[in-house]
Amino acid sequence: MPAIITVEDLNKHFKVYKHHRGILGPLRNLFSRASSLVRAVDGITFEIKSGELVGYLGPNGAGKSTTLKMLTGLLVPTSGKIIVQDQIPWKNRTNYVAEIGAVFGQRTTLWWDLPVIESLDLLQHIYKIPDDRFQQNLNEFRELLELDTFLNTPVRALSLGQRMRADICAALLHDPKLLFLDEPTIGLDVVAKERIRQFIQHINEERGITVLLTTHDLSDVEKLCKRVMIIDHGKLLYDGKLHLLQEDFGGKRQLIVDFMENYESVSVEGGTITERDGTRMTIHFSSQEITASELINQLSAHYRIRDLEVREPDIETTIRRIYEDRLLEQPE
Amino acid sequence: MANMWYSIDIYRRLISVNIRGQLQYRVSFLFDFLATALITVLAFGSVALILQRFNNIGGWTVFEIAFLFGMAETAFGTMDMIFSGFDPPYFGQRVRIGSFDQMLLRPVNLIAQIFGSQFILRRLGRIIQGSIILLIALTQLDIQWTAIKITMIPIVFVSLVIFFGGLFIIGATLSFWTIESLEVVNLFTYGGTEMIQYPMSIYPDIIRNFFTFILPAIFLLYYPALYILDKPDPLGMPAIAPFLAPFVAMAVFTLAIVIWNYGLRFYQSTGS
Ligand SMILES: Nc1ncnc2c1ncn2[C@@H]1O[C@H](COP(=O)(O)OP(=O)(O)O)[C@@H](O)[C@H]1O
Ligand SMILES: [Mg+2]
Repeated sequence: MPAIITVEDLNKHFKVYKHHRGILGPLRNLFSRASSLVRAVDGITFEIKSGELVGYLGPNGAGKSTTLKMLTGLLVPTSGKIIVQDQIPWKNRTNYVAEIGAVFGQRTTLWWDLPVIESLDLLQHIYKIPDDRFQQNLNEFRELLELDTFLNTPVRALSLGQRMRADICAALLHDPKLLFLDEPTIGLDVVAKERIRQFIQHINEERGITVLLTTHDLSDVEKLCKRVMIIDHGKLLYDGKLHLLQEDFGGKRQLIVDFMENYESVSVEGGTITERDGTRMTIHFSSQEITASELINQLSAHYRIRDLEVREPDIETTIRRIYEDRLLEQPE
Repeated sequence: MANMWYSIDIYRRLISVNIRGQLQYRVSFLFDFLATALITVLAFGSVALILQRFNNIGGWTVFEIAFLFGMAETAFGTMDMIFSGFDPPYFGQRVRIGSFDQMLLRPVNLIAQIFGSQFILRRLGRIIQGSIILLIALTQLDIQWTAIKITMIPIVFVSLVIFFGGLFIIGATLSFWTIESLEVVNLFTYGGTEMIQYPMSIYPDIIRNFFTFILPAIFLLYYPALYILDKPDPLGMPAIAPFLAPFVAMAVFTLAIVIWNYGLRFYQSTGS
């Protein structure tokens, strides 16, 4: 598979000016130019292949939106290289944006006062979509995204979830091969999140659309993306399969045992007892040292067991550890 | 060429969306319309009252001044309607809240989109009042009409519109710098509470009034008016001075587009 996106040593630095408070503040701001540099995106390199569904994960302020703005041609990089579908996004932007789809979660692309359907009609003209293709797509998305109940409602009256669904539909009507989503599930309830995730998965699998989505919500990535990129402070901390991340950094799996009796002392080899509450016991172990079945055999040889549960390492904790301990950061 | 028709077609559709949006708020529309009309009448009325007592000021009669005023008002109102999308405070706001990004995401010529983004109908109030004053002046003044003078009226009018439009574009371009150097800091650090104190919202009025009434008054309005009204030139400019309006307008407009294209490179979007 050829690369559809190539990013090499990408940087975006913002000059942020110092700000004075008080009545004369704005006036002083005009004359004092003291500034500091924010490295919103700091030396990022990656490649995305056609057909991938990639999650771009990071806490608030990590540099996700800034990366996406450069990939969609809204911002010119400070330095570095971006090639998307053989084009440089910010050069010849008008042509480029006709071939991609993009939704920035916090803002709608639709017209505030127009009913959804009229916004979509307007987009048909803007993207010069042939009638039959437009109808076909609209019919399919209407059903999958359940748009029918609010197609005639003005955009300003939609709920956040409805608006997001309408926006995603709007971004796909012109058959882009590539879709950028910035925080597509932000602020939505569980049901609405799930509906959007299913749709993203569907268009990726059925239509082969390459998707790059940013999120600070780990469950988006867990449910959707085989590949995840983790970014913080503008730097790429991890790029790879989610479950490998777990194995490399997740540390311990857990075995939770419920014994038939309340044993005075229990000893295990290859694992550590981290919690004990009556007949219940939690044992941490690592796959490199012992398998779950070895551990269970060992226990059941000496004790009578009522119930068992194996818990995989909690990805949330893993990622938090990576953010907080900066486990992946290369030494400067 | 095909591209231009496409841009015009999209422009037309965007305008119609915008106008339909405005008509949804019919009551406030009517109110604004009447308010604008009233203000114009009062403004001119008070000046006229004062002038009437002196009969003429600096050699200009009330109706001659009405001619200048009516022309400037009508042209400015027309420009303000067509160029609403570039209105600096409005455009600055668009940049500040990030909705300018949406325009960059659409495969349509940016200028066409900005023109299409706003078409403030209630400016009609100002246009109508301006034209009435202009019409009264034209009927009351005893102008010695010639073919040249008749052609000059629409040319001067269009030149004024283009000239004011160029100034609007330059004003709008300022948002690309000032927002970044000052306002983004605001957004992040103070949640935008100080935004109202932002100088952009103060100085455009001063600058605008200067450019609106003083600068153009020389070549765009004052000299053509001297010619049309057969008045002597107190400054002793070359005889061509009354006919420079379209050239001055085109020069300013071209400059505006150059500045715009330059400024666009400084656009930094906003933080989330
Ligand atoms: N237009 C801008 N001007 C100045 N600083 C910005 C701008 N946009 C983003 N930033 C800063 O860059 C960093 C990354 O922001 P962003 O990409 O929006 O993060 P994320 O989307 O991951 O939350 C933040 O520190 C933010 O304050
Ligand atoms: Mg963001």
